[in-house]
Amino acid sequence: MDWLRILLSRFAAFFRSKKLDADLDDEIRAHLELAIAENVRAGMSPGQARTAALRAFGGVTQVRERYRVERSLPGLEQCARDIHYAVRRLQQSPGFALTTILTLSLGIGAATSVFSIVNAVLLKPFAFRDPDRLVVLREAVVDQAGGDRTAVPDNYRHFERLKKDSDVFEDAAIFRQRGMSVSPGGDHPRIAGAVTSSPNLFRVLGTEPVLGRDFVEDDARQNAQSVVILSDAGWQTFFGRDPAVIGKTLRIEGRPVTVIGVLPPGIRFPQIALAPTIAFQDTGGDPMLFEPLTPSERDLKADMGNFNYKAIARLKPGVTLARANAELEGMQKAYTLSAHLPFHFGIALTPLSKDVASGVSGGLWLLFAAVGAVLLIACVNLANLQLARAVNAKHETAVRAALGASRAQLVGSRLAESLVLAFAGGLAGVGLALGGVRLLLAMAPANIPRIDEVRVNLPVLIFSAGLSIAAAVVSGMLPALRSLRVDPQGALRTNSMRTANAQESQRTRSVMVAVQVACTVVLLIVTSLALRSLSQLLRQNRGFDSNHVTLAQADLFSPQYDKDGPAGNAARLAFVDRVLTAMDRLPGVQSVGLTSVTPLTGENWVDNLFRPDHRVAPGKEPAINVRWINPEYLPTMQSAVVAGRNITAADRANPYVALISERTAREGFPGENPIGHTITDLVPDSKHPITVIGVVANARINGLKDTAAIVYLPYWAYTPLTLSFLARSSQPSDALIPEMRRAIWQIDPEVAIPILKSMDEQVSDSVGTDRFQAIVLGSFGAAAFFLALLGVYGVLAYSVSLRRQEFGIRLALGSGRAAMIGLVLRQAAYPVLLGTGAGLTMALIALRWVRSILFETPTMDPVAFGGSVLLLLAAAAAAAIVPARRAASTDPMTVLRME
Amino acid sequence: MAEKSDVLQGTLDLMVLKTLESMGALHGYGIARRIEQVSEKTFTLNQGTIYPALLRLEQRGWVKSEWGVSEAGRRAKFYSLTRSGRRQIEQETQNWERISATMARFLAPTN
Repeated sequence: MDWLRILLSRFAAFFRSKKLDADLDDEIRAHLELAIAENVRAGMSPGQARTAALRAFGGVTQVRERYRVERSLPGLEQCARDIHYAVRRLQQSPGFALTTILTLSLGIGAATSVFSIVNAVLLKPFAFRDPDRLVVLREAVVDQAGGDRTAVPDNYRHFERLKKDSDVFEDAAIFRQRGMSVSPGGDHPRIAGAVTSSPNLFRVLGTEPVLGRDFVEDDARQNAQSVVILSDAGWQTFFGRDPAVIGKTLRIEGRPVTVIGVLPPGIRFPQIALAPTIAFQDTGGDPMLFEPLTPSERDLKADMGNFNYKAIARLKPGVTLARANAELEGMQKAYTLSAHLPFHFGIALTPLSKDVASGVSGGLWLLFAAVGAVLLIACVNLANLQLARAVNAKHETAVRAALGASRAQLVGSRLAESLVLAFAGGLAGVGLALGGVRLLLAMAPANIPRIDEVRVNLPVLIFSAGLSIAAAVVSGMLPALRSLRVDPQGALRTNSMRTANAQESQRTRSVMVAVQVACTVVLLIVTSLALRSLSQLLRQNRGFDSNHVTLAQADLFSPQYDKDGPAGNAARLAFVDRVLTAMDRLPGVQSVGLTSVTPLTGENWVDNLFRPDHRVAPGKEPAINVRWINPEYLPTMQSAVVAGRNITAADRANPYVALISERTAREGFPGENPIGHTITDLVPDSKHPITVIGVVANARINGLKDTAAIVYLPYWAYTPLTLSFLARSSQPSDALIPEMRRAIWQIDPEVAIPILKSMDEQVSDSVGTDRFQAIVLGSFGAAAFFLALLGVYGVLAYSVSLRRQEFGIRLALGSGRAAMIGLVLRQAAYPVLLGTGAGLTMALIALRWVRSILFETPTMDPVAFGGSVLLLLAAAAAAAIVPARRAASTDPMTVLRME
Repeated sequence: MAEKSDVLQGTLDLMVLKTLESMGALHGYGIARRIEQVSEKTFTLNQGTIYPALLRLEQRGWVKSEWGVSEAGRRAKFYSLTRSGRRQIEQETQNWERISATMARFLAPTN
């Protein structure tokens, strides 16, 4: 440990050197005085005494020097001196310094912004105890023949059995998540995210309320008092952070519920999908309410069906994911056999962090890679600029080398300049990132998980500091090392910028241009693929028309609607009839459609198509989405009936009729005419057979990426709790929105309206992630493009300025101006063409990762490839022509006289 | 050059430590004089070299220093041994004895 102690004491001394120098002088003076006094006592004259004392002491200056060497860190002092000189040198060329700092700060700012999102969404561990041991537990349906597995949500009974009998979990919690209507203090209700879970949920996660108490088992008993735990946001929203909230009452879905706890502020409930295939579901946003789950009769008995739950489990310490998967898989298999279940069940465990990020990690890493490429291109530009400076500073370097500067000192003084620039650029970059993060968040779609946790925090700052240093090394190392090759004699003799190895350094610079061009080609191709994918997504035939349609979703969660059986249904039906009549009367409204699931909110009300006349193996029935509509729904959405007829008012007396989408017809009635056939078991609490009366054109109504297999049924047969009213009107949505809200609340002020906006907006929101990726990639592509052009231009312009004399002589010897232009263009062409070739090869590799974010766009899209390459070549030619013309317009006389 | 100064450095360090052990807290001049006296002019010491040596010992934590007033009434730095300095003396002494014993065997007249 001695070396550490010495290092520390020397390091401390570095910062107190002035004081220590003074101390040493004092000490030496005291020493000499003592010596003189003793010599005088021994009988010398004062003058002799002084001379003798100094002689005995040895050289005062040498002692000082040795003392300093002993005390200091020579490297550190050297470093401080280098940095000092670097700052002074940069002050002398403010143009260079500003360009460099600006380029660097843009690159580092962009990279830092993207990293802060990557960090929050993908890297930062959850604020739970040992989050690495948390897993999302889903069941899987295994296709015995093909070996295909489909992860599905959990069945309550299966979950209980797995939890009880397995040996891999410390604990596991099961829950459901949906939006619930909350009416704080007599206001119109609003929809808040709510989790209904087994009472151990927070113990599994490893957190506990900061106020009040956690759930206990008794809270989940039948007929227990209704209790709720609020998230920090819920506490803020519904009680304004009232410290005496515990014991107060909140009206949730019309019933009074007692608040028993409040969660800590840092705790956000993770966004877990019901199943990976169920793309997105409106669950009312971040959960604010947590209620204990009281299992129903069905939960406890049903072995098939009721796959409605999510589950989160904590693995025992030391249990690996693979072992847990294997053990649970075995239990599921055994149970399938012993209980004679018609499906083969398996298990699908995913680590919590991976599960939450699964939908976005590919896209985010791609953005991160893209911004990294931009930064690399920027660094190469800087390296080029530095190299030019290093060549200009050759004379200075030669003088220093001749005076005996060591190689380390030469490299250090060059690197110091890069470090100073990187420090300034990094600082400015972090400043830009503060704005950049805000910009990205404003553009980012809300369904990116954990997006509200994005901050420029310590890990992000460490990242950008590291990035700055890396940028300095990448852009400064090469020029610094090249300065070593200076031959002092040669350089001093020529006393000119044109030194012997200008040609060699030109080659280095060409390689750099090639690297830039290669990176740019890759980025341009990726960008154009993303843009083409987005335009494909927006332009394809959707099967419905969103123009001039305004959308209002109403949630009927109050008790009079929520009753089981005919009474509840009659109340809901009456409400719908009254709203439809009221909305029909609004100004400019042509038609009002009703559907049970708001368009573009993903798969919902998924059921199976049962045909009494065509039995298939259990579990092989095609999956369909059930939608409850009115006769005006299809005309309002301008979806065409391609066979049979639409529902009409005349069907109200006997509402057991259905329309099916083309896809349902293809999957459920292959090779048959479905019209007139019977299907069953779709209307809740009814076994009444349903007659298919028509086929509707496919519509991408669940999400633009896929058509949906849908069965449309009239709302007269059953009216669900969640309803979407769609008004087609000549009035703009802005005018219609307040009118629609008033119409609903005039009929029942206790109804929540969680969504109220134009249908166009709903469409645009649904492709938010794709648009976000396309815009961000596009701006990175553009940045890379301009940086690369700057690189091509800069290198060429510099080389032309170095070769002016040569051009002058060529012209004087009779070379034509066109030949001159050709000469320069050829010089530019090598690196650009080489880089393009390398870029195309790299693109082929990179496209494997890009495929996941593309929609119906082939990765080998000729337009994207050809367009990107042509654009780049044309722009590079344009950038090269300027210096080429300058070369051709050299005046031979001027140049030759200059020498 | 390097080897010679290394050896000298080691001996000087031990002499300083030993001086402080026998004399207690002492300023640089006092240490230098004491070493000169004990060595009885068998070698001449550049008194100044004491100071880098003292700094070295202080950095290693073997001696500590504080400002005091010299017998001449001037501000002077007084050095004294630390506990690890005492341990170091023991170790260095053993080392030195081993070396000098070895050297003595080499230099002993062969018969």
